[in-house]
Amino acid sequence: MDHFEELRHATPRRVQDAATLADLDEIEATTIGRRSIVAEARRDLGKIKDPEERRATGRAINDLAADIALQIEVRRTELHTSEVNATLEAERVDVTLPGRVPRRGTHHLIQQTMDEIVDIFVALGYTMVQGPEAETEFYNFTALNIPSTHPSRLESDTLYLEYGDTADEILLRTHTSPMQARHMESHDPPVYIVVPGKVFRADAIDATHLPVFHQIEGLAVDDNITFADLKGTLGQFARQFFGPDTRVKFIPHYFPFTEPSAEMHAYTQGEWIELLGCGMVNPAVFEQVGYDAETLTGFAFGMGVERMAMVRHGITDLRTLIDPDVRTLEQYR
Amino acid sequence: MKFTLSWLREFVEIPAGDPHNLVEALESLGHEIAEFRVIEPTFAGVVIGRVQEVSAHPNADKVRLTKVDVGGEVLDIVCGAWNFQAGAVVPVAVPGAVLGGDFQITRRAIRGVASNGMICSERELDLGEEAEGIMVLNDDYPGAASMIGAPLADVIGLPDVYYEVEVTPNRPDCLSVYGLARDLAALYRTPLRDRGIKVTESGAPTCISVVIEDADACPRFAGREVRGITVGTSPHWLRWRLTQAGIRPISNVVDASNYAMVEFGHPTHAFDIARLGTTIGVRLAHDGEGIVTLDGQRRSLTAADIVVTDGEIPVAISGVMGGASSEVHADTRDVFIEAAYWNPARVLMTSKRLSLRSEASQRFERGADPSFCVLAADRVAQILTEIAGGAPAPQPVDVNPGAIEEWQISYPLSETERILGISIDGATTKELLERLTFKVEGSDPLVVTVPTRRPDVQRPVDLVEEIARLHGFDSIPDTVPQGPGGGLGQRETRMREIREIMVGAGFYQMITFSFIGEHDLDRLGLESGHPARAGIRLVNPINDTEGVMRTTLVPGLLKAASMGLARRNTSAQLYEIGKVFLPDGGELPKQPDRLAFVLAGETAADWLTQATDFDVFDASGVWELLAEKLGLPHTQLRQADVAPFHPGRCAEIILGDGVIGALGEIHPNVVDAYGLSGRVVAGEFDLEELLLESGPWQFAAPSAFPPVVFDLAFALDADVPASILIDAVREAGSDLVEDVRVFDVFTGASIGEGRRSVAVNICLRASDRTLTDAEVTPIRQAIAARVVKRTGGELRGTA
Repeated sequence: MDHFEELRHATPRRVQDAATLADLDEIEATTIGRRSIVAEARRDLGKIKDPEERRATGRAINDLAADIALQIEVRRTELHTSEVNATLEAERVDVTLPGRVPRRGTHHLIQQTMDEIVDIFVALGYTMVQGPEAETEFYNFTALNIPSTHPSRLESDTLYLEYGDTADEILLRTHTSPMQARHMESHDPPVYIVVPGKVFRADAIDATHLPVFHQIEGLAVDDNITFADLKGTLGQFARQFFGPDTRVKFIPHYFPFTEPSAEMHAYTQGEWIELLGCGMVNPAVFEQVGYDAETLTGFAFGMGVERMAMVRHGITDLRTLIDPDVRTLEQYR
Repeated sequence: MKFTLSWLREFVEIPAGDPHNLVEALESLGHEIAEFRVIEPTFAGVVIGRVQEVSAHPNADKVRLTKVDVGGEVLDIVCGAWNFQAGAVVPVAVPGAVLGGDFQITRRAIRGVASNGMICSERELDLGEEAEGIMVLNDDYPGAASMIGAPLADVIGLPDVYYEVEVTPNRPDCLSVYGLARDLAALYRTPLRDRGIKVTESGAPTCISVVIEDADACPRFAGREVRGITVGTSPHWLRWRLTQAGIRPISNVVDASNYAMVEFGHPTHAFDIARLGTTIGVRLAHDGEGIVTLDGQRRSLTAADIVVTDGEIPVAISGVMGGASSEVHADTRDVFIEAAYWNPARVLMTSKRLSLRSEASQRFERGADPSFCVLAADRVAQILTEIAGGAPAPQPVDVNPGAIEEWQISYPLSETERILGISIDGATTKELLERLTFKVEGSDPLVVTVPTRRPDVQRPVDLVEEIARLHGFDSIPDTVPQGPGGGLGQRETRMREIREIMVGAGFYQMITFSFIGEHDLDRLGLESGHPARAGIRLVNPINDTEGVMRTTLVPGLLKAASMGLARRNTSAQLYEIGKVFLPDGGELPKQPDRLAFVLAGETAADWLTQATDFDVFDASGVWELLAEKLGLPHTQLRQADVAPFHPGRCAEIILGDGVIGALGEIHPNVVDAYGLSGRVVAGEFDLEELLLESGPWQFAAPSAFPPVVFDLAFALDADVPASILIDAVREAGSDLVEDVRVFDVFTGASIGEGRRSVAVNICLRASDRTLTDAEVTPIRQAIAARVVKRTGGELRGTA
């Protein structure tokens, strides 16, 4: 039994002194493992004749073994924790180094702006439609009550194509308005459409002109559409696009295809800015497409997408919007 | 339309106050303000004085001594100008005055004589060009004589306010001070000050006879002769006003015509009768006929132009510019003031064709007031009488072959509510329209008589606009109608999906111009007869290098990439969706939407990653991604050799039964031609089929059973496409094939000349059971056999 006493006294120290998990495994094997003093003592239990004594000795062995096992387990947990900690410490990196950024491009600002405006009108129950960019002179001008002598038809303003041999010239549409006539010709009222698209003018490139730019046209034709509807709808649009506190004002203007006509100005970023042209559909346009101008009324509007984007994002030069420099493109977030 | 507040106030009372109030008033009437600013004198301390004495300077003969009464004090001033004598009323900068903002006038000695101030010229006061002599106010400002000692600014009318109004094309009647005053009078409910135009008919009877050949070209031709004028400089007040209106003073005759035009809106033209003769004809020009205009240019005319003739030869291009032959000269004594109404469309076409847009042509092309012709000529005659000493003939010339009368519009009151959404009663409507000087009779419908100066008002809806304008847009409530809802539609929804995929894949969207040049088609190396060669030409391109509608989006993106890389961008990873324009049998060109992308430069290097070039597999990967995310059935890439691609690194994109585009590495020659370098990758394909309705995708439950995964490697002839191998695996393994992945491709001596090894990792899985070895073994053999049969290759080793 002096083995036992020695074990009982010496083991705690050895367990505490174990520096690695391997040392601890060694201690475990020699103390309570299969070839340990404890194991040997258990094997020798059978030699004790007296049942009382055998039971008492057995209990003592078990108690000792359990005690040592507990000490080893506690120490093992300690060693494990410190080994993990050591590993973690060794793996420490400078996390302020730049990360691996998943690559993503951007939607062009014009696209984003166009989509956002279209979505505002879609939420108001409008249908998005699109039309041809190469268009007939009839739909671009005549159907919109633009007189045959109007200067905008001249080659100094409008780009014409060498195409076709009919009397009707083919041109690059100068506005998205031709879809007004095209859509009404092929659809019965009510009509609530929003028409985004590319438009073209015979303009040289400078800070305020591009030969190719974008517009969004809107048209609402129904039984009881009034100027009040126009004001309400476009005011709501401005507040959704520029923010809920945006003030708008309508001032009389002139377009051949609307009467009365107006320009909507919005007060945003500290100044009044001309945003879009609008008006009540001119009865002459209804007559062109075979709508009854006596019973139907409607409003139409057209806005420049570039202008909307520039006002909102502080862009002052139109040419920014055709810049392929990634330092520009990546800002389109 | 540029003018000053003081001029406007001659015709309508404008409430005093912030000049911005007038801006808002004009805007509410539809007259947008391009610019407005207060005109302040640049001088201070300059008063009106009267010269009492002029005497010689004792020590100098270039200057004189004067005694000038400046009101309560007589100043001795040495003056170098000689254009005045005692009695002259002049501007005097008294000691302490400041000129030009910073030039201080002090008492000083000039050649030994004290000078207590300075008598000023127009130039010194920033009131005009005249610098030779001092300003003499006696004739130009008769009132000045009774204002000795008063500030000069008072008699000039400073400070004043300058306004520039953008008059819309439908309102020719507002291209004048009087016209804007009329609109403002209606708004302010104040009377329009009509001073009347009176001609002192003291001259000899009219000698001019007029023959109009084309009444449509010239519905009315009027004028007035003025005899015995002296051509010279206009008085300062008139020159000052013209200058503020943006018109340069020329001579009293020209200035009088311009002044009357700005004032009342009707352009006039003065002929020298001695040079013109006594016969005036009006006709359309003959094709090829010529005239030398006032600016000395020889102009060639067409039968669309209207001309004034001396009976035979053109002496003016009607409504656009006078001719040199009948121009007023310094020696001119007798003039004929023409005031006609010209066909607006013809004036427009002529002025546009000759690029001669003038103040006059602008007014005629929008439509002057035919009822104002005689008055316009008379107003000029009146001014000439005052400033050039002329004697007008006792009667005007007035030939009126195409009389334009006032017209009537029947206006049902319900129209207001139908269009504006607010109801305005009959009395109010009548009052509004009468304020605008329309004549209104009847009750409902109202019968409205429209004056001839309002060609824009033809239909009831035009009256609605007038009512709305004056009643105020602000008085109309805001309502928001809801449409029936149609949404974006399948096409746009799909477009947005595609754009999202591209952006998610790292591409920046570009929007390039829709034009390319012939040289682009050459640079791309397209052989003649290639469909992309059939670009539609622009009649009037912006420039020579962009004369063709694009048949491909690739050049635009290559140019964009080239620009980006030139600015030291590491890479250009760009895509565009847009229309190309192709000739078609139809009325319009075919305009399908395409998607194109370009990858140039190299991926960014950083501490984690090495930079790599792009190659053809980046291009095919883009297509594979799109095909997967869009759920495209039956698509494949087929080895091809098409421009502008690298002959060995190009694939055609096959969707269904057709080729919809191509992708690959750009041919090195093309890369060069666009100023790029290294491997440049691109692809372009038609979107139309990708946008078709495809229905919702259907869920397939992932199998819960374990897979069997094994590798097979085959030695193939080098020109056998890997796609055949993959297809053969899927064919032989049918539904059990979950995935086939190429994981190794190599060539080398061990494989043999002209051959390569392609190894695939195959994953088999059943949806309803665990595959057993017994089941898999024959399938694996079948797959190997099928690949060998299809490719003519052989199975390598034991996989």
